[in-house]
Amino acid sequence: MQNVREVRTADQANLEDLFFGQTVILWARWSVIVAGIVLVLWTSTTVTHLTQTVPFFLALMAMNFFLHGRYVMGSPLNRVAVMVASFVDLVLITAIVALWPGSHGLDNQFFVLYFPVVFAFALVFTRQIEAAYTVIAIVAYAAACLLTGTVHLDLGNDVKVLVMRAIVIAAMGFLGNYYFRIQRDRLARASRGATSGVEAMMASSVPARQPVRR
Amino acid sequence: MSYGVKVGEHLVSPDGNWYWDGVAQQWVPKPIAPGVAGVAYEAPRHHAAPPRAQSGKGLSSFTGSVRSEDLVFGQTVLVWARWILIGTGLVLSFWSPSDLHMLQVQLAAIIALAFGNFYLHVQLLRGHPAIDNIVYAASVADLCVVTALVLVQGGYSSPVFIFYFAAVVGISVAFPTLLTAGYTAAVVVVYGIICLSTAPPEEFPAVFTRLLMIAAVAACGNVFARNESHRREEAARAHEELLDEPADRAAEEHANQPVAPA
Repeated sequence: MQNVREVRTADQANLEDLFFGQTVILWARWSVIVAGIVLVLWTSTTVTHLTQTVPFFLALMAMNFFLHGRYVMGSPLNRVAVMVASFVDLVLITAIVALWPGSHGLDNQFFVLYFPVVFAFALVFTRQIEAAYTVIAIVAYAAACLLTGTVHLDLGNDVKVLVMRAIVIAAMGFLGNYYFRIQRDRLARASRGATSGVEAMMASSVPARQPVRR
Repeated sequence: MSYGVKVGEHLVSPDGNWYWDGVAQQWVPKPIAPGVAGVAYEAPRHHAAPPRAQSGKGLSSFTGSVRSEDLVFGQTVLVWARWILIGTGLVLSFWSPSDLHMLQVQLAAIIALAFGNFYLHVQLLRGHPAIDNIVYAASVADLCVVTALVLVQGGYSSPVFIFYFAAVVGISVAFPTLLTAGYTAAVVVVYGIICLSTAPPEEFPAVFTRLLMIAAVAACGNVFARNESHRREEAARAHEELLDEPADRAAEEHANQPVAPA
């Protein structure tokens, strides 16, 4: 008779999720750092501007070096540390959107930096945590737009654009976490030595074609 | 309203392959031999074999021979990403529309996408994921629709470019690495050309950021999918080893036993 005992506990699986998922967050953060540094170097018009903006990205880079180093050395970070680092990402991106010289709030085109960060976070954490993070990102972006006076609450075009961007940020979180849950299920099946479910899906064509009882 | 046609004492489904068993209260495949009664049983064509997906007509035309298991699971993400694109597109189309021509193009593209996605979603719900080439073609259609909307709305200044992100997310988790790279490169090149030809030079940093973030999202999704694939392999191997342990132990104990005297 086949032994159906799982080869890992739930706690162990959660730790593994965090450890293996970290790499996505790390790469998402590297992309933000690269984008930020290129932008700072490209758009700076004065020495003051450059010296005021680069330190933010250098700090983020140092943090990511540390986190990536821990990951490469195989010593997993705890859940809180990863969440705090991700929260720092949101703060920094919101600061860029709100304070970037030249264009603020809704007119600032660097809101796209939210997308990989929210998506990567959603691939690592459970639904509640992911939902909270996504909501914080949306609220932070909306607040940055409202506080800079670039959005007027008259349901005009600027509100429309803000809603569109908020929906896509939410979609990043939802789709990432949806895929995360699919993968958890597949991993649990593999751990039990069960089939992936595709065979059953394909073999179930007979009942699937059965007329629905009215 | 009845579901099918009533032949003799039995209600028969429209395709003629099932009849309603009133005692068991369920649909039953029709038997091979003509039996119960009526015209519907006079031609027992292929009743013994289970119904197969027809290859030439009907909703199942493009389903049946799925080649990639990852794509089956990724299809659901793609379908939901497309629904988000469709839903958001519809809402925003009706939100302070200004130009009739633009609205016509938007609605035509979105409705066409909705029909295609409805078909794919129905197939998933029926347990018949679409074959790989259909999924790949549907993703090309997504990207074409977003590109068309971007072009209609003025290229760089169009706010709908963010829908590239939703499309790329689905692609990155569902498709193999090479295809993900190909699709993403196509998006970056096409959208990059559109932006560079329609944006003023002072906006080029913003263009760069958009393109880099599209690539970053694709990379994150695909790295995660590959990691998970490796984890599943490891888990399956660990499970196999767990199953083999008792057999190995028994064989070892048997080998260590003293030889029985003749």
